[in-house]
Amino acid sequence: MNTLLSEKHRAVRRSVRAFCERELLPITKEIDQEARFPWEVVEKMAGLGFFGIQVPKDLGGASMDSLSYAVVIEEVSRVCAALGLCISVHNSVAVYPLLAFGSEEQKHRWVPLLARGEKIGAFCLTEPNAGSDAAGIEATAIRDGDHYVVNANKVFVTNGGIADVCLVFVRTDPNKGPKGISVIVAERGTPGFVVGDLEDQCGMRANPVSSIRLYDCRLPVENLLGKEGMGLRIGLSGLDTGRIGIASQAVGIAQGALEEAVRYAKQRRQFGVPIAKHQAVQMMIADMATQVDAARLMAYRAALLRDQGKPFSQAGAMAKLFASEVSSKVTDLAIQIHGGYGYSKSYPVERYYRDARVTRIYEGTSEIHRIVIARGVLSE
Amino acid sequence: MKLHIIVCIKAVILTPPKGKLVREADSLALNPFDRPALEVALRMKEERGGTVTALSMGPEASASALYEAMAMGVDRMVLLCDPALAGSDTLATSTALAALIKKLYPFDLVLFGTRTADSDTGQVGPQTVVLLDLPMVTWVHSIDWADSGLHVKRRADGFHEEFELSLPAALTVHPRSVKPRDIGLSGIELAFEQGEIEKRTLADLDISPDQVGWAGSPTRVPTWTRVTRERKCEFISGTTEEQVEALVGRLVESGLIG
Repeated sequence: MNTLLSEKHRAVRRSVRAFCERELLPITKEIDQEARFPWEVVEKMAGLGFFGIQVPKDLGGASMDSLSYAVVIEEVSRVCAALGLCISVHNSVAVYPLLAFGSEEQKHRWVPLLARGEKIGAFCLTEPNAGSDAAGIEATAIRDGDHYVVNANKVFVTNGGIADVCLVFVRTDPNKGPKGISVIVAERGTPGFVVGDLEDQCGMRANPVSSIRLYDCRLPVENLLGKEGMGLRIGLSGLDTGRIGIASQAVGIAQGALEEAVRYAKQRRQFGVPIAKHQAVQMMIADMATQVDAARLMAYRAALLRDQGKPFSQAGAMAKLFASEVSSKVTDLAIQIHGGYGYSKSYPVERYYRDARVTRIYEGTSEIHRIVIARGVLSE
Repeated sequence: MKLHIIVCIKAVILTPPKGKLVREADSLALNPFDRPALEVALRMKEERGGTVTALSMGPEASASALYEAMAMGVDRMVLLCDPALAGSDTLATSTALAALIKKLYPFDLVLFGTRTADSDTGQVGPQTVVLLDLPMVTWVHSIDWADSGLHVKRRADGFHEEFELSLPAALTVHPRSVKPRDIGLSGIELAFEQGEIEKRTLADLDISPDQVGWAGSPTRVPTWTRVTRERKCEFISGTTEEQVEALVGRLVESGLIG
């Protein structure tokens, strides 16, 4: 696996891993159980550049490549998937669209603060009646002089409870269907910006996922990202990048679960020997390790293609689909190897299992990904 | 006064090898005991200005430790790399390092960790400094500026010693004297994309090949074996009181308590 990585990427892995094992590992169980966002560690992560991984240096970022981004997300998720999710979403679907589609003024206004982690970003697309059917959103933005009056009910917003800068998908023209969708930046604190209750989720519990509602929220026209009608293009472009992050996150979760399973299998004795001596367990370990490796290679390939300026959308979709499904399988087998103890909160594998599940749902379900991939293959 | 601080660092083997010891990038990392020395150097530079040079001796793969040092914030990386250095013991290593440090003159301070995480001798720092003929204090845990140079405290068994040194001087830095900074992503990017390692070979030094490598090493490691620890798990049965009684008895018997 390391042969694919340059010395720089290995240094990224070593340093992020050392930080996460020292700072995050001791609190991972507690923040999951208490559904607490650990600001005390997040501030340190921000100081190390985790919130502006690919942001250019002059805008306050680390100016790194996509492969470094993938390695960072993987390593954080290996220890704490909820924070891996936080930085993945922040970097890919919040910061990246601002960099790619924002005006110079917009970039200088928001990106340095986001890159330094002084403000947290969020992506507000999903609504109660629009998920996979992104073009079906009902949020509206009606032009009123030099402002838009925005009404929106966005749900399942990752980082929602702590987000300061939200990319909100709205309908600026009700008659243009998908081409009537735009993205407006809404900042927490604007009158009419309301953060809903936190979701009581199955996994990723340390991430404050919430709804965000905008009630007659007046946002200046300068907050429009790109042009009116570019919303879906901006969204899909962000999600393309985001898929590399979610794939890496799923790889990290699976890797963490695999390591726990291996440790347990060497230590747990049944029938007079460590269970790792039993072929049934060896078969599971072999399958897990092989699948994690394959998923990792797919995630890295998508990142490398992006770094080379080549089309990576299809590779990213395949990586996200495969890695998310692998993480569900691997975490399931990790519990199986642990037996009854794996079903208990005394061991971390049940958390990996819960955290893995959502990677098949968010930023495009597995089913939507299959449709996208098939469309790509059939149009070749 | 702008300082020039040299920090000697080593790329150490992370885990004991199963077969032949091969130093390659995947198996090497910056010696954790060198991190506090780097931290001390960087803080002094932040306070007084100047340059920090990280210096290492080893195969090409040792570059990883230098890049990590640069990611922490050092300005200059120098690697002494020559096939003739293979097999050097601590004396030969010190001979080579001292010869290289002389070439980096002028400098104010040479810092070392107290030991390395792999070979663990703690000899290279003091031996090198003897060859350089500099004042030295080992196991330093606090450093202040003084009119004459530095005022340092050394932590020894159960007491502290205080010293004043004129510069140039050398110190080995106590591993718990400072908390080394974490390596940030921009530091890594800067080190790997812009950092250049200055490579030196024996030809650049005023020593002969027979002073280093196998030829210059009076000590040999004829064999080495991995330490294996056999662990036994024993269940103590009976009522809770009986179990406690039996456990306490065992611990007293083995000399762990009592």
